Amino acid sequence: MKDHVLDRIRNIDDLPTLPSVALEVLSLAHQSDVTIQSIAESIHRDPPLAAKVLRMANSVFYRRGDRKVDTLHHAIIFLGLAEIINITTSLSVFSALKSRKTQEVSVRESFWDHSVATGLIARHIDKKLGMRTMGREFVAGLLHDIGKIILDQYFHQEFMAAYNMSIEKDRPMYETEMEMCGTNHMEVGYFIAQKWNLPPYLADVVLWHHQPSQASSREMAALISMANLLAKAAQLSCGDRMSFVLADQEAWKVLKERGLPVDELDIERITFEMESIGDQVKSYISTVMEPSDKEQDNG
Amino acid sequence: MDESLSSSCHKMTDETFILLRDFIYEQSGIYFGDNKKGQLEARLGLRLRANNLADYDKYYYLLKYDPNAARELRSLFDSVTTNETSFFRSPPQIQAFQDKVMPEVISRKEKQSEKQIRLWSAGCSTGEEPYTMGIVLRQVLNDKGTSWDVKIVASDISEKALRSAKAAVYSDYSLRSVPPEIKREFFLSEGNAYRIIEEVRNLVDLQYLNLNDTRRIQIMKGFDVIFCRNVLIYFDDEAKKRFVSQLYDCLNHGGYLFIGHSESLHNISRAFKLVHFPGALGYKKE
Ligand SMILES: C[S@@+](CC[C@H](N)C(=O)[O-])C[C@H]1O[C@@H](n2cnc3c(N)ncnc32)[C@H](O)[C@@H]1O
Ligand SMILES: [Fe+2]
Ligand SMILES: [Fe+2]
Repeated sequence: MKDHVLDRIRNIDDLPTLPSVALEVLSLAHQSDVTIQSIAESIHRDPPLAAKVLRMANSVFYRRGDRKVDTLHHAIIFLGLAEIINITTSLSVFSALKSRKTQEVSVRESFWDHSVATGLIARHIDKKLGMRTMGREFVAGLLHDIGKIILDQYFHQEFMAAYNMSIEKDRPMYETEMEMCGTNHMEVGYFIAQKWNLPPYLADVVLWHHQPSQASSREMAALISMANLLAKAAQLSCGDRMSFVLADQEAWKVLKERGLPVDELDIERITFEMESIGDQVKSYISTVMEPSDKEQDNG
Repeated sequence: MDESLSSSCHKMTDETFILLRDFIYEQSGIYFGDNKKGQLEARLGLRLRANNLADYDKYYYLLKYDPNAARELRSLFDSVTTNETSFFRSPPQIQAFQDKVMPEVISRKEKQSEKQIRLWSAGCSTGEEPYTMGIVLRQVLNDKGTSWDVKIVASDISEKALRSAKAAVYSDYSLRSVPPEIKREFFLSEGNAYRIIEEVRNLVDLQYLNLNDTRRIQIMKGFDVIFCRNVLIYFDDEAKKRFVSQLYDCLNHGGYLFIGHSESLHNISRAFKLVHFPGALGYKKE
């Protein structure tokens, strides 16, 4: 029975869906003649989403200087199209996944903390390495483990068994998931990413963030892979708490091969800098979540 | 400007500061940066008074030429080093030592049918650190019986600190991070104080050792784990590089070095593998 978890997920008909506006924005992004106007209009069709995008644009994460952005139009000009698409995507995924009922609040919390931390760390490293991924690294970090939340939602017991086993036995989640669920969060996440028509780089990261050398978007997958590890080191893990040598990781080798100056990074310093990331994570989550969202979560 | 103040307290001139700073550096590798002059002044002020000296120049001459210089040097180290420490300091490091490092070391040794473990707390201050290591080791070896030959070398340059370590009696404050069940199992209460139990006390071998004494360090060999936490802060880059490369040689293959929680060996050594543990870093000799 276990081996059919992925098949069973395929046949679930109430799988979470992305809001239609998010899908629209994502597909607009691929068009060459996309205008600020058309994106703004499209986001405006979902007023709560539009309000959240504005709030995000004015949050400490995106705000530049002390100029307040008060229209979507301005937000797009200030942050650029790419960043607005990133924000819209992450907010939509958040709202599609977060308010679902769950028994284990602590796992849910550790999931979002880990996801946001991975996004923030990816952004930090991206800057240090001068990769210019234009905010895509943040969304990628945020979404890399979405498969876990689907597993938790539809195969709660199996997922919890995998989760606890990975902590107790000090083994990677994807291994214990395979044992308990017959699939892993990468496969499940990839399935969802495709169903949602997420851009290829995101689907790629979701599938390959533990083996970045296999990815088509190798640099991005490697960046997220590394950020994922550093999030664990900063004690923001969703599952295993394994130790690692960064310079021996596949991610490190991929980045190095691609000519990025990883050897020049002061990893110790980055690690110390990331120790205080918990506060930023909390602040991000409270910006994204409405007070009502939180109540639902605790319910 | 502050005439009255400077005449009542001893004042250190910039020249004397540099003489003393270089002298201390030569002797211990502890480096007082230009921004630490006030700190050095305050600390040595106590030594001036103890020796009944009028100014810092005279103190410098005493260190340099007096027949009793060697003894004074010990007292000087006592006053320039802060001996702040506590049991289970920087808990994520202790956790990594307990959950990851020791099990790894032990299972490697078991495979080689070796039953000897050597640990070193370099710069052990008043003993909280080596005794913490001893407690952790007792717990890790708990179900493996007493067949292991364990020794924890604990060394410091401060004789005063070593005397406290030898007494092994601690206040509540030193034990503030100790979980209650550990307090019960490993300490005996004596009035308001706590004495570490003999079984742990006996694992620890206290030694006077200047970490800057290259020849003495050279003979330290065969360690599985070295804690040298919050000690390197007193050394400048050159002394650190020399000493850290010596520590590398003191370790067995597969051994680990832990330095202070926010200390870094970036730019100091590339010999080790940097290992990330949850909330802590370790340096591994492969
Ligand atoms: C802040 S304490 C650290 C104690 C303990 N390792 C900890 O982290 O809690 C620093 C200790 O290093 C010792 N120390 C400083 N320089 C030294 C040297 N050159 N040789 C030996 N010990 C030294 C000081 O005497 C002091 O006890
Ligand atoms: Fe993952
Ligand atoms: Fe992850």
